[in-house]
Amino acid sequence: MPSREFPGTVEAAAEAEEWIAGESGALGLAGDTTFAINLCVEELFLNAVRHGHANRATISIWTEPDGLRLEFVDDGRAFDPTAAPAKRLHGRETNFEIGGFGTGLVQKFTRRMTYHRADGANRLVLEFDSGSDRNAGSGAIPAE
Amino acid sequence: MDMTVTETPEGVTHVALDGRFDIAGAQAVDRRFAELAEKAKILVVDLAKVSFLASLGVRTLMISAKTIIRRGAYIAVAGASQDVEKVLRLTGYDELVGLYPDVDSAARALTSRAKEFESRKA
Repeated sequence: MPSREFPGTVEAAAEAEEWIAGESGALGLAGDTTFAINLCVEELFLNAVRHGHANRATISIWTEPDGLRLEFVDDGRAFDPTAAPAKRLHGRETNFEIGGFGTGLVQKFTRRMTYHRADGANRLVLEFDSGSDRNAGSGAIPAE
Repeated sequence: MDMTVTETPEGVTHVALDGRFDIAGAQAVDRRFAELAEKAKILVVDLAKVSFLASLGVRTLMISAKTIIRRGAYIAVAGASQDVEKVLRLTGYDELVGLYPDVDSAARALTSRAKEFESRKA
């Protein structure tokens, strides 16, 4: 199973995306699945570093008979993205606060998300279809 | 990410972006986008060559839209791929700014809206 640890810096987000793009290519994933994985990695990485103050993050990717799995583990503050509300704009009102859209995008670009906190780390497993565009979720569920 | 700005004789500012609109892409164009949003009367953002869009790219687009709409100017987005458009729709950006299949249709729609507004004022 391909897996790699990255330092908890904003600059490492690009490194993580480059690595995941290479792994997606090696797995021969459909373009929309590659897009979804890239998006989730960027959003999770930046959240973990900027808001969770993580020192490191480890990303693993593997296939199962029913699709693709990506595990994102970080040692930042506890945060359950499956339980966070998905923010979105409504109408042409311009008095909105900028930012906070990343978690909602992760929820919507995955088929299912499972979160648990263990040993001082956030552990999130994302599920994707590895074929065509059937990833629009969300089946996000917190762990028992 | 590359950003090319052209002005048409009809007063439309055309911003063509090329590359990934991720954290690095957003950092590369943020300042120029903010400057354009302060002065453009009709701004068409061409995303046809944007292969990837994440929330920081949406943030740049939202800040510009907020500035432009508050100034009473006009903005539209054109040419987004299916995945990029999905990001724009899921964040609700499409409720703030019109999405068009290409630059020409976006420019036509905004120019006609601006003319209609001017004629009502006259």
